[in-house]
Amino acid sequence: MPAAAAISPSVEPKPVYRAGMQAIGMILFWWLAQCLTAHFHWPIPGSLLGLMLLWGLLELGLLKLHWIEQGADSLLRHLMLFFVPAMLALVDHHELFSLLGIKLILVVLISTVVVMCGTACIVEIGFRLSHARSR
Amino acid sequence: MHALAEAAIWCLVTLAVYAGSRKLHQKFGRWWSSPLLLTWTVCGIAIVATHTTYHEYLEGTHWMVWLLGPATVAFAIPIHRHREMVRRHWLLLAIGVSVGCILAVSSSWLLAWGFGLSPQLRASLLPRSITTPLAMDASSRLGGSPELTAVFTALTGLFGAAIGENLLKILPVTSSLARGALFGMGAHGAGVAKATELGQEEGVIASLIMILAGQLTVIVVALISSL
Repeated sequence: MPAAAAISPSVEPKPVYRAGMQAIGMILFWWLAQCLTAHFHWPIPGSLLGLMLLWGLLELGLLKLHWIEQGADSLLRHLMLFFVPAMLALVDHHELFSLLGIKLILVVLISTVVVMCGTACIVEIGFRLSHARSR
Repeated sequence: MHALAEAAIWCLVTLAVYAGSRKLHQKFGRWWSSPLLLTWTVCGIAIVATHTTYHEYLEGTHWMVWLLGPATVAFAIPIHRHREMVRRHWLLLAIGVSVGCILAVSSSWLLAWGFGLSPQLRASLLPRSITTPLAMDASSRLGGSPELTAVFTALTGLFGAAIGENLLKILPVTSSLARGALFGMGAHGAGVAKATELGQEEGVIASLIMILAGQLTVIVVALISSL
């Protein structure tokens, strides 16, 4: 998946078992975060808490990047495989293969153009303003 | 025993099609060779052709969906890796992500309302601009269908990555920040891949925007739905 290549530029594939062990470590970390949110009834999902915790631990230097990066990179590289089974629920939604489906596609297309143009323009304006100020 | 064998077969079929389409994509590298699109359509056709129910298919493949959680945790690594970029451009990133999320949710809501779609479909459309695992979580909290959200999110990524470059020809944007933001906010994972083709900085900005937008959306949705 080229998308993951951008997220994770580490190139040389190291031994598979090491990436596997690290991926299991990531799963345990996620499970721990999942238990925390369930136990304390926090409103955020365990995966998000896990992300924040891991990010914090990395920034504080309590966790070294090379301890987990291969496992994390391989999980991200195959991210799209993990949601394909969910997307296949479409086979149970015959009602969408009709005018309704076309409406849904139109919402997706129009909204995507709006989001892309709006975001790019606001960041460009901000960039030029901060550039003009620093000069 | 029969059900177990069937589950194993669907698991192997999905993995084989995925592995094959990855090879194909390395060779062609076009939008139609995207492993996501190919695995989805080929498995979908196989399910319909063999009269398998979705429930039966999921027996062998639900462990893949389960791995979305750990994969979301792994998003901490790219943020940490590019912390220098976050530190340098935090304000622009924050502005881009906030405006992008507001635009994504409000435009989806307005259009869905205009087309008279049901509340469940509307809720499934709202988080479709963020990365799939987080979009699915937000969708279920909003009363939508996470599976349909996965479909809408994938369409968003495929379409956004395909038209992004054409939009850049029309829009008066020249900074690599704005170009990366366009792809990261508009087309999440597929957009990050496309932005990386334009340049290293574009790709990093796109991936940061994608991850931060996902976090922001899920936190806001979680807080609103817990009130």
